[in-house]
Amino acid sequence: MKAAIATRLAVMFAVAALGVFSLVGFALRHVLQRELDRHQLSEVNTRLEYVGMMVARNDSAEKWQSLRSKLDALTPLDGSVRFWVMSPNPRFEYGDAPTMLRERLSTHTGGPFVIDLEGRSMKASSRSFASNGERPAVQVVTAVDSTRFLDTLNAFAGALVALSLAGVALVALLGHRIAKVGLAPLSSLSQEAQSLSPRDLSQRLRLSPLPPELADLVSSFNGALDRVQRAYAQLEGFNADVAHELRTPLANLIGQTQVALAKERTAPQLEETLQSNLEELDRLRAIVNDMLFLARADQGETALHRVQTSAAEEVSKTVEFLEVLLDEAGVSVRVEGDAHAPFERSLFRRAASNLLLNAIEHSERGAEIVVAIAQQESKVRIAVTNPGTPIPEQHLERLFDRFYRVDGARRNSRDNHGLGLSIVRAVAKMHGGTVFATSTAGGNTVGFTLADAPAARAP
Amino acid sequence: MKILIVEDEAKTAEYLHRGLHEQGYTVDVARTGPEGHALTLQHDYDVIVLDVMLPEMDGFAVLRAIRTHKQTPVLMLTARDRVDDRVHGLREGADDYLVKPFSFLELVARLQAVTRRGRAQESTQLRVGDLEIDLLSRKAYRAGSRLELTAKEFALLALLARREGQILSKTVIAEQVWDMNFDSNTNVVEVAIKRLRAKIDGPHERKLLHTIRGMGYVLEVRGDKEAP
Repeated sequence: MKAAIATRLAVMFAVAALGVFSLVGFALRHVLQRELDRHQLSEVNTRLEYVGMMVARNDSAEKWQSLRSKLDALTPLDGSVRFWVMSPNPRFEYGDAPTMLRERLSTHTGGPFVIDLEGRSMKASSRSFASNGERPAVQVVTAVDSTRFLDTLNAFAGALVALSLAGVALVALLGHRIAKVGLAPLSSLSQEAQSLSPRDLSQRLRLSPLPPELADLVSSFNGALDRVQRAYAQLEGFNADVAHELRTPLANLIGQTQVALAKERTAPQLEETLQSNLEELDRLRAIVNDMLFLARADQGETALHRVQTSAAEEVSKTVEFLEVLLDEAGVSVRVEGDAHAPFERSLFRRAASNLLLNAIEHSERGAEIVVAIAQQESKVRIAVTNPGTPIPEQHLERLFDRFYRVDGARRNSRDNHGLGLSIVRAVAKMHGGTVFATSTAGGNTVGFTLADAPAARAP
Repeated sequence: MKILIVEDEAKTAEYLHRGLHEQGYTVDVARTGPEGHALTLQHDYDVIVLDVMLPEMDGFAVLRAIRTHKQTPVLMLTARDRVDDRVHGLREGADDYLVKPFSFLELVARLQAVTRRGRAQESTQLRVGDLEIDLLSRKAYRAGSRLELTAKEFALLALLARREGQILSKTVIAEQVWDMNFDSNTNVVEVAIKRLRAKIDGPHERKLLHTIRGMGYVLEVRGDKEAP
């Protein structure tokens, strides 16, 4: 399972804070180090200036003595500031400069430098003075202990690290709180969603007090609920339709059998009743078989006995079958184009026959029905167009629903119980295709597509 | 012709027995799979009608048992119309398959088809009353005068004449004449029969093409007592 959003956010905040604090910390430390360096240097230089002035004025060995005591006085007891004067004449020296320093100076080119003296790091600067009177040319060196500055820097860095860590922890904690508060609408939404009852399909999530990010989610969720409700209503309507379709023949069967048995009948009368019963029973059988066929397609059954076939040829065979009906209706059929695909012939003919019957039913005498067959990418498309009054948009998408009738009336219910186009859809589905319906002033087109390669399940 | 019906449902077994007996078959009925299997060991049947959903031993098991010693044609009946079942049954060696609810006429037609296999060539000249049909030249005459028939009308007439006296359902006709082997809810066959009737029976006193309401059509010479 993924961590809770609040926790994830808190961790992300903490990581971000750590980054920011580190960056700022490094920058601060760098600035401080530079400032401390500058400060140290100016301290060294100020002293060198001061001592340098005294040394420059000095021109005799007697005065050198008092200079020594002055320099002694300037040197603090803890040795944090040191002075050295080096000269070819030992009388004009001070501080007994260590060999290391002398060697360093012999190669040194100028500017401040760092020396290690008795375990402490010191910043030093030197300057040369030309001879004056008795005094030969001398070199003066001033050094200031850097340990104090380094200590300051280290203390500062330590404080920075500690503060940063505390800051990161605080940010993580606050981030968690903020996320919790920020996500409050989400948890209240989920509570609301949980309280939706499966019994009442009209319930929806409330939209008004939600932030815009969630409003989108809620409206798509509500959209899904809309569709579920519609599908459910359709299913209930469908069940009612099935019951209705079965009820009429059943009522006839029961009624006429009871009437026949209520009195003594002659053999021909009984035969007549039986014949009528048989017609009704055949109607029931046809409905039940069609319903089972549709159910099988819904359960994902695919066409198994697929053979590579010419669609135009099959349509022509179907037209031949319906010839007498076309003739009676005074309607002609024209087949345009052709395409080959693997399909189950009897299913294809069944679909084609249903489409043609539908077209015949809605055509005026003298009309021409056009069957257009075309290869479209990986599909074969069969479209049946008949001239007629345009079908309103809201009916088009429902044309393939079971028992759906555009005019709402149940005409032709003996021959066609309203499943013809549903069967077309089932056949298309069994071949990996779909159905479509369009309506223009030129006529109404209803048709289906078939995948031109067998689905993965096929043997 | 000797036939065995293996069916546990009492009403179905009863009407199949009566119906097939009236069609001229000698009929035995078994109510369970083992009983049916035992009967096939004792007798030689021409065809076996076997229900899939049987208690104790289902139809597939019975079929397997029969196939170990006999190659009698088997027609299976089922209430479940699933392709898997159909494929299963045919793979196990069934010769045909009918889904309930089926029409009795269709069952008879299938039984005939299953048992007719390997029969001698039929004659090319058919005669029903004063109706003559020449299958080779594809011409038909009624009382000596030539009938103007379309190709499909001729095929329809030939089918009815070949099965003279036998009721043919609309489904069988659609399948045999137009090769439409699906249950179509159209009145194509009705209309085609109506047109054919006008041509062959139209002006004649004695009608040959009869409608059996709710069942189908039959071509035969009937007695004088026939209702108009």
